[in-house]
Amino acid sequence: MSIGLLQAHGCHGVSAVKEGQKQPPAILSGETAITVALAGQPNVGKSTVFNLLTGLNQHVGNWPGKTIEQKTGIYRQNGLTMNIVDLPGTYSLTANSPEEVIARDYIIKERPDVVVAVVDAAILERSLYLVAELLPLPAPVVVGLNMMDVADQEGRHVEPEVLEAALGVPVVPMVATKAQGVRELADTIERLVRGDIPYHPRCPQIRDDHQVVLDEILALVESYVPDPYPADWVALKLLEGDKEITAMMRRALPDAIWDQVHDVLMAHDDALVAVASGRYDWIGRMIRAAVVRPQVGQISLTERLDRWATHPVWGMGLLAGILALVFWLTYTIGAPLQDALDTYVVGALADRTGALLANGPEWASKLMVEGIIGGVGTVITFLPILFIFFATMGLLEDMGYMARAAYVMDRFMHLMGLHGKSFLPLFLGFGCNVPSIVGARVIESRRARLLTIMIAPLVPCTARMVVVAFLAPVFFGQAATLVSWGLIALNLMVLALSGMAINKIAFRGERAAFIMELPLYHIPNWRTIGLLVWQRSLAFLRKAGTIILVISVIVWALSALPSGDVETSYLARFGRLLTPLGSLMGMSWRMMVALLTSFVAKENSVATLGILYGAGEEEAKLATILGTALTPAAALAFLIVQMLFIPCVATVAAIWQETRSTRWTLFNLAFLLVLSFGTSIIVYQGARLLGWGV
Amino acid sequence: MLGRLLSLVGQGGVHSYADLAHQLGVSEELLEQMLQDLARMGYIQPVGGTCDTSKCHHCPLGSGCAMDARGRVWVLTGKGSSLRGGC
Repeated sequence: MSIGLLQAHGCHGVSAVKEGQKQPPAILSGETAITVALAGQPNVGKSTVFNLLTGLNQHVGNWPGKTIEQKTGIYRQNGLTMNIVDLPGTYSLTANSPEEVIARDYIIKERPDVVVAVVDAAILERSLYLVAELLPLPAPVVVGLNMMDVADQEGRHVEPEVLEAALGVPVVPMVATKAQGVRELADTIERLVRGDIPYHPRCPQIRDDHQVVLDEILALVESYVPDPYPADWVALKLLEGDKEITAMMRRALPDAIWDQVHDVLMAHDDALVAVASGRYDWIGRMIRAAVVRPQVGQISLTERLDRWATHPVWGMGLLAGILALVFWLTYTIGAPLQDALDTYVVGALADRTGALLANGPEWASKLMVEGIIGGVGTVITFLPILFIFFATMGLLEDMGYMARAAYVMDRFMHLMGLHGKSFLPLFLGFGCNVPSIVGARVIESRRARLLTIMIAPLVPCTARMVVVAFLAPVFFGQAATLVSWGLIALNLMVLALSGMAINKIAFRGERAAFIMELPLYHIPNWRTIGLLVWQRSLAFLRKAGTIILVISVIVWALSALPSGDVETSYLARFGRLLTPLGSLMGMSWRMMVALLTSFVAKENSVATLGILYGAGEEEAKLATILGTALTPAAALAFLIVQMLFIPCVATVAAIWQETRSTRWTLFNLAFLLVLSFGTSIIVYQGARLLGWGV
Repeated sequence: MLGRLLSLVGQGGVHSYADLAHQLGVSEELLEQMLQDLARMGYIQPVGGTCDTSKCHHCPLGSGCAMDARGRVWVLTGKGSSLRGGC
């Protein structure tokens, strides 16, 4: 029970919520009892502090009229009895929940002699918001700065003395889980109530432009505020739109005064932001004063690297350079390994299988050698290239660069006019287009959602990049890096141009902010990267053994039937129907069929090329055959179509599922076909006219 | 400070937490709290959720979803738009 000797107050008074008011508490002497309320957010260690202080002297009941648990207990020292009341855990005192109402009503109506605000030093920003609301209440506050050990572990050094000077109230550093600082907390409470510690709370101020409004409200309501509510606090809560206080004052004020108050409040419906803004300014000042973040090591390195990596110009340059380096490494290290695998493993396997089946039916031998080994085997020879590609991408991902890559690319797309709401789904598409399509659900407008879905397949997903990694060195040898880089740049340009159109058509000036979290750079974990490469390679091999195998067998069968000669096969007859279109891009029917099989899975085009160009050839490698069969301009045209072509069947299924419209799905396929073939024709015909690579 | 943040969200564009926090002179933790508070007050709202890779099983390469980066889109609500006009 409070002895009522203290007349301690918060920051209220004539100048309301101004900083720096001195509120000296009265001095106690001799044997006496006080009430101490423990306030704090959930999970800041408040209960631990309560248990350490009260031990077995606890009583558990309910708050009057509520089903919320109330814990009280007793702590004694130096002839002073402290009745400890554990207030419900709350994030603020804004009457959003019964717990918040209980906590603030208790402090206002029961007037504890001291309120201990237990705060988490590791998330001091969040904890201080509650302190900002406690300080204006009519009870002196002691801050229990708990979890100092956790803050230190997280690299945040909080200086209690500086925080104390900044807040103007006593601050006690604690590690409650280790019972550290609890005795000091009790001593501080005692010294405060005995008047041995000065109490000068520095409270948050309302934003300057609303101080006059606050004063106006205060002047209107001051004489009518019911006891024991502090008038300035009530005025502040009215400005915040606090429903409970507004209802109370509606009852307390004469109609004429209420009308005036109401008019002022209506004229300043942004006052809530002004009040909260004042609190955040105050928190910002406290944090700047008391929290030291080490500027060495990881954070400093991240800041220094990000000056380049996230710079609008240098960031794009760095990304382009890194991408080129990834492809260069992939081709330089992977190509010789791929060659060796082709010669010594797949080639040897084909020879042995051919010899083993030499006495069996010819079709069985050809199915194995030309169909399965020619298709699946060709794809598998690219495993070293894929392995290095996965490893370099995994390395960048693990050390934290890929988030920067996404950041600079998104910013580039924003500058090109792509809307913020499209970023999120498109951003997801760099791994796989399917989550990108599904992610477009976030866009409420059906038109904008549909248009975003339409361009999502243009995001160069990893599978498309892998096909480029397969084929670019086959077609272009030393120039593969430059070509691969250019193809991705082309995709992004087409994406950005499509996005600009969508922004103009669908979003009409509506704006959205895309805020990204960039992780700290760190030393890569080779085990994580190894695991990632292993998982992706294994999954790729699994795919080679299923989808690619089935399609390879089908393609081989259609290329062998009815006569065994690929030139007169069913597939050739079908493929030749596409020759008029293919010839505009310098492509044979074989290339057109390879493109079509990529609809099932992107890598199938490689397998199909292996079957159709490898059939009947002895000893010659796919790279050599393709090198002679295709001009560079036609090869480039083929890769351009691959990059802009219709997506895989799973993505198309996702498009249908999300649009619930066959018409839109078909429109999307038609759009991508026109776009991919159109761009390819322009590039090929342009090269022909200029005499490049033909 | 909240008014400035509201204004920055209203301008749209792509930001990192670090960049935005630097512009406002606050820590990234405080920035996140302010965004949550503005959302609670009804001035801004988040758009979208997390990356759903449940449908990526068909693709062995789909596990690289979202390039290991986390982001969130915020838009002004009608209440936020009208307030931003006055900020």
